[in-house]
Amino acid sequence: MAIINLREGIIQVKIVYYGPGRSGKTTNLIYTYNKLKERIKNKLSSKLITINTKGERTLFFDFFPIGLGKIKGLDLKLQLYTTPGQIIYNSTRKLVLKGVDGIVFVADSLSSRREANIESFKNLQENLSYYNLSLSDVAMVFQWNKRDLAEEGIPILDIEVLEKDLNSELNLPSFPASALHGDNVFKTLNIAAKITVKSVIRKLLGSNGDEKMAIGG
Amino acid sequence: MSFVLKEEQVENLEKILNKIIDDGGATYALLTDTGGNLLCKVGENSIDGTSLAVLSAANYAATKEIASLIGEKEFSLLFHRGQTENIHFTRVAPDILLIVLFKPYLSLGLLRLKVNSVKKEIKDILKA
Repeated sequence: MAIINLREGIIQVKIVYYGPGRSGKTTNLIYTYNKLKERIKNKLSSKLITINTKGERTLFFDFFPIGLGKIKGLDLKLQLYTTPGQIIYNSTRKLVLKGVDGIVFVADSLSSRREANIESFKNLQENLSYYNLSLSDVAMVFQWNKRDLAEEGIPILDIEVLEKDLNSELNLPSFPASALHGDNVFKTLNIAAKITVKSVIRKLLGSNGDEKMAIGG
Repeated sequence: MSFVLKEEQVENLEKILNKIIDDGGATYALLTDTGGNLLCKVGENSIDGTSLAVLSAANYAATKEIASLIGEKEFSLLFHRGQTENIHFTRVAPDILLIVLFKPYLSLGLLRLKVNSVKKEIKDILKA
């Protein structure tokens, strides 16, 4: 549920990182947060909120807002969320999806996680339908995470397989990435933000929102 | 359900929230949608409104799920009592929450009356 506040001159959109448990959703957010903090010399006003279990898994969500440049004269504010990937947390995952404008589906490249990716993708569609939404209603990109594992000799899925399993019908932008090392983390977010804002502006203001925007680098 | 808030709407909403502070004795008031998007806030407090909106929306949603687990539609009263500050959550329109901070010496009943009296006004402004 994007909001444009004309008094404050803000456009605010919600992007959710979705995917199976341990696919690296939180790692994406932490990397983005730390890099932004580093770049603007600790002057980042937003906080990273994490509601975690005692271990390292997300229990409810991780969240942080980023203020970006201007678009159509309005300050762009992205709200980034992750969901808990584990199956037992479906009710909280559903709650985090409320009012979503854009989704980054973080798939796990590990060969052993092929089924988990497919299951999580189906679960996403089910949970969106709870809010009367379908995949075509939200802006979305895919991230094939953990590509770095190949260098360590760990069997990973070919990109063609991931594309065929998850993206063959949708044909959406997709990015091989390593959230741990930061490869393509900003690229994924950049494109996700771009298409999300574009669709929000189209819905709310009726124009195409073709403005320049760059996050990180 | 995305929406555009016009300058005049935000001003009117702020006026209403200020009434809760001036007449109701609250210290801080904030409106958020149930997705966690901050609409507007008033009060002297230096609280991070963005985070408060997000966590309040999540808290409200989780509590609503608890209600449905035990067969309730939703709980009519949702508030937390602190040492120096209390917080009260109310759904004022289908997708809008009003969060109010107030001191423990203030009567909860009075605050609820005040909040109830502005519900319709908020709804009308958002409908416009």
